[in-house]
Amino acid sequence: MPADQASIMGIFKHEDQTAAAIKALRQRADWTVARVHSPLPSHAIETALAPPKSKVGWFTLAGGITGFFTGFLFAAFTATRWSLMVSGKPVVALVPFFIVGFEFTILFAVFGNVLGLISQARLPRFGPRPHYDDRFSGNRFGVLAQCRPTQTKQLIQFFQDRGAETTGAESQPREV
Amino acid sequence: MAIRPLPIAKYSTLTLNQKWFVLMGISAVFFMLMIVSGHAERAWQAYLINFLFFSAIAQGALLFSTLMHTVKAQWSRPIARIADAFAAFFPLSMILFFFLFFGYSHVFPWLGEDLHGKEIWLNLPFLFFRDMIGMGILYGCGMAYLYYRLYFRLKTRPSTQALASLLQAHWRRHPPDEDAFNRRQTRWAILYMLAFALVLSLLGYDLVMAADPHWFSTLFGAYSFVKAIYIGFGALIMVCAAMHLHPDLPVAFQENQFHDLGKLFFAFCLVWADFFYAQFVVIWYGNIPEETVYIIERTMRWPWGGLAWLIFIICFIGPFLILINRDIKTRPKAMIAICGAVLAGIWLEHYLLLGPAFHGHHMPFFWAEAMLAPGFLGLLGWAICGYFYQFPERLPLISGKER
Amino acid sequence: MDGLTYESIDNTVLATLSPPRRSYWITVMLLFAGVLIGASCWLYQILVGIGVGGQNNPVHWGTYLINFVFWVGIAHSGTLISAILHLFRAGWRNPIARAAETMTVFAVCTAGLFPFIHLGRVWMVYYMLPIPNQRTLWPNFQSPLMFDVVAISTYLTVSSLFWYTGMLPDLAIVRDRTVGVRKKIFSILALGWTGEYEQWRHYTRGYLFFAALATPLVISVHSVVSWDFALSVIPGWHTTIFAPYFVAGAIHSGLAMVLTLMIPLRKIFHYEQIITMHVLESVAKTIVFTGLIVGFAYATEIFMAWYSHSTVEMESFWWRAFGDYSLEYWIMVICNTTIPLLLLFKKIRTTIATLFIISLLVNVGMWYERFVIIIGSVAHDFLPHAWGLYSPTGIEFGIMIGSFCLFFFLFVLFVKHMPSVSMTEVKETLHEGETHAG
Repeated sequence: MPADQASIMGIFKHEDQTAAAIKALRQRADWTVARVHSPLPSHAIETALAPPKSKVGWFTLAGGITGFFTGFLFAAFTATRWSLMVSGKPVVALVPFFIVGFEFTILFAVFGNVLGLISQARLPRFGPRPHYDDRFSGNRFGVLAQCRPTQTKQLIQFFQDRGAETTGAESQPREV
Repeated sequence: MAIRPLPIAKYSTLTLNQKWFVLMGISAVFFMLMIVSGHAERAWQAYLINFLFFSAIAQGALLFSTLMHTVKAQWSRPIARIADAFAAFFPLSMILFFFLFFGYSHVFPWLGEDLHGKEIWLNLPFLFFRDMIGMGILYGCGMAYLYYRLYFRLKTRPSTQALASLLQAHWRRHPPDEDAFNRRQTRWAILYMLAFALVLSLLGYDLVMAADPHWFSTLFGAYSFVKAIYIGFGALIMVCAAMHLHPDLPVAFQENQFHDLGKLFFAFCLVWADFFYAQFVVIWYGNIPEETVYIIERTMRWPWGGLAWLIFIICFIGPFLILINRDIKTRPKAMIAICGAVLAGIWLEHYLLLGPAFHGHHMPFFWAEAMLAPGFLGLLGWAICGYFYQFPERLPLISGKER
Repeated sequence: MDGLTYESIDNTVLATLSPPRRSYWITVMLLFAGVLIGASCWLYQILVGIGVGGQNNPVHWGTYLINFVFWVGIAHSGTLISAILHLFRAGWRNPIARAAETMTVFAVCTAGLFPFIHLGRVWMVYYMLPIPNQRTLWPNFQSPLMFDVVAISTYLTVSSLFWYTGMLPDLAIVRDRTVGVRKKIFSILALGWTGEYEQWRHYTRGYLFFAALATPLVISVHSVVSWDFALSVIPGWHTTIFAPYFVAGAIHSGLAMVLTLMIPLRKIFHYEQIITMHVLESVAKTIVFTGLIVGFAYATEIFMAWYSHSTVEMESFWWRAFGDYSLEYWIMVICNTTIPLLLLFKKIRTTIATLFIISLLVNVGMWYERFVIIIGSVAHDFLPHAWGLYSPTGIEFGIMIGSFCLFFFLFVLFVKHMPSVSMTEVKETLHEGETHAG
């Protein structure tokens, strides 16, 4: 956050208010939406923010492909160490090794998924989160907007017009 | 019977109905030619394969409607109305099955063989009657379901055609209790699905598995009905996509409906492959000769093995890799191509399963089967068009709202 | 879900985390005592030898395998509810998803103990690890038992990760509403979740992939477990239907266990508004469906035993129904296929007491199904002179009691210290309802 930007957090009760506020904020060139908090994933907010598609899937796919070949090759490798024909089955038997490959596919795809989640969502994150309100996990939505320090009163008014409480640099936090 | 053209622009000199009749005619002529020229065996075997394939399509497609109704799914309501149309093939399927028995000496390899006691199950009269009764029950449940469903359908969208007028007049004379009709619709939907599992298993055992009378697989029945669901859904997607793309038909679907259909199709691709593998791995691993003889002939020896690999690629590997992509599922043209390929693959699979029993090690090119397929396709298409002629469908594109 | 608000959902669930009453601790102590019984029986077995169990020639797989398959089966419907029903967008799953996933993780943990118990000489488990031992022997991946190792460990890992990921938003809720030591613990557990859109964006995608991956995993894991038996050549075991039959049976028993757990939980924690009758009814209807599949499988096996005209196969199935273990067989058939049909009647489905009793009976029936399959086939296979019977010993019963107590012990510990209902997902269902109405 550049030093000359002021941040105001608008705390909304309802999702549609939040989405409308985000849309209005994004239309103004001089104000930006830094963060949006919600207690549940919201389709309306997603439409308002119009974000790019998440890349987590690529991690999952990469993990899955790696897993498939790892599983297969691993099973084939261990079989070729002794090269014994067991019960008349070929040493490198595709039919049963497919199962090992399949399980490894799922396992590594899940690892890829977790890796993708951690890297993309940037968790874990233990530092302090300024302007975070404990009610965001419960039943409130939050929009953190940034503007120039001279415009803070306008921004606070903007939020209050749309039914939000505000907390931030230049405003008094309202008691619930 | 008067054939009135459907409200579509004529892009050829033939109406759609006339096109179906042409297909039927071609196949009928070929069938006759084969019989009189001494190829009666091929003719009847091809008849069996096509009968199984196209009946399974109709049975599986109606399952979509009954399933979605039972679980009270909302997203699929318009699609389920298209799925209902496939039930129009049911009476034709019964008649076709009846006629199959004129070729009994050619389609039942176990006739006259020493079955070591299995004769009380595998004998012509018992097989014929139990399968007839089974199909009768299955189709009866389907038609009963459709009867109650049509009440609600015609209530919001009355029709002036012959059959529809008959029904509407009947309900005008005896206004039904709507709650009771709803309950009965659900009941028949559940009974249809029960009958589906049992009757398709029975048909699978009697008409396909019994062709190798000394072989058996407990999963074969379930495999048969999973196949039917797979191709039923595929055909449903093709019909929905074709109607959606047609410029003159007032039918359109949402992108997310195609997406959900595509996902369901993908799921059944995996289920079909899983049921195939479950049989294969158990037989392969146990390595018991009386079981392995079946799959060795069909999957590991040329030429049938080559066909098996082709089928596996068309029906599993291809759709699996292609349908992982989200966008493909929302493109009707692409889905028609993919589902069409899968249907062709499963048609070949019907040929693969029965072929070695009829022809042994030698794989004749499937010209006979391919020449009869248009006829059955024509019958199915004629039935579906006939249904929509009687009960016209209007599905204009309205974003969001339930139609 | 009338009358629910986000706040009331949070309050109801968070109230369950308050300091427990004495009855809770007594329950925990009793269950722990059961775990100790099981542990001491196992210790005795390790010291004395696997012979203290009833397994011998010809029945060399006894209650240890039965319990193994039983617990893996129970685990499966947890994933069905949390993953498969998420893909189908079935809203009724949301209130019970968390408890179901928890059931999965603990059931897999319990199941995973049994291969170790059955080993006898537990220290030799390293043979199964994919490292060459001092004889440069690797495990043989063509063995179905190795498939099991790979499948069960994958299932445990994936279920735990899925479970934990699903809990993240709820852990944040607890963190934000507590103080002191608990706040510190949950701050660490919640990994700094702040509900930002950037987190939700990736989270929902990741969760969808979890669900999409867990679904084929569920089907493959119990198929692999079924292939422990089907890949042999023994009559009654070597049959192609086992994979889907076992998966359906697993879901059948798991759903019954869900009801067994949910009904008391709902009462004790006052979840009636959240885990409504509709949710329990939906579970009951699914039990009818899985019961029908199981019945279909029984009928198919019997028919095919006759159709095959294989003397051994026919004898095996005849003996199952009318031989030494016929009581177990009929308990199995009646509890698994006939009794669930009672749930077709709305009156029975909507009465808590009958629902609970039926869920217990289905679990009993499914335990006996594994008994009939595992014991019944091996006791009576190809050669009449090799036929023999089996009965579990006291040690085996002790270990079985220990396993049941371990499962409930872990579950009871969980529900009092972590949110047992997914507040976030219940809010989502509420949310869907509002947007559809609006």
